[in-house]
Amino acid sequence: MRFDPSTRGEGPETGVECPYCESTNTVRDHPKGPGLCRSMHYCEDCEQPFERFG
Amino acid sequence: MSADDFEGNEFESEACAYTDYTSGEAHEQYPKTGGGATGVERDVWDALYEVEDPEMPVSIVDLGLIYGVEVADDVARVEMTLTYTGCPARDMILNDVRCAALAAGVADAEVTLRYSPPWNVEMVTERGKEDLREFGLSV
Repeated sequence: MRFDPSTRGEGPETGVECPYCESTNTVRDHPKGPGLCRSMHYCEDCEQPFERFG
Repeated sequence: MSADDFEGNEFESEACAYTDYTSGEAHEQYPKTGGGATGVERDVWDALYEVEDPEMPVSIVDLGLIYGVEVADDVARVEMTLTYTGCPARDMILNDVRCAALAAGVADAEVTLRYSPPWNVEMVTERGKEDLREFGLSV
């Protein structure tokens, strides 16, 4: 039994590929997204928020 | 006491109710996409391909959720998994899958849930990843 790792902020905080412009100049806004397999990120290049899956 | 010191897993289950945000490992035998299937089994795979995840416009076959399809004595037996054990869409997806299999022209369809091997994002096909990106998700 382990607790939800998102509460500890696991997973990549930067460098996740933006689904809109493919830039990796991105930061994670929040480890929790709308579902258990999503986290919230922001692209510094195209200035769009996006979610990471998986 | 940290979370790691907590030992409360009386069921000794490998399954967990959250997605670990690490990538996980690619699995040799998965995803299964029905390549090489023939006859009615081919029809069942084709019908399953039409079933989409309730949250995203991606086929459940491309997501890697289907672990096996067998047709014997006019009954389709589908083995599948879900992206996590606590998935709230469980009953809905199971029903969609059963209806799809029935529509392929078998007398009956049984859907069995399995959590072994545990699903991870590496089981998503390339086409599935494209669909997810198209939908606006980073994969």
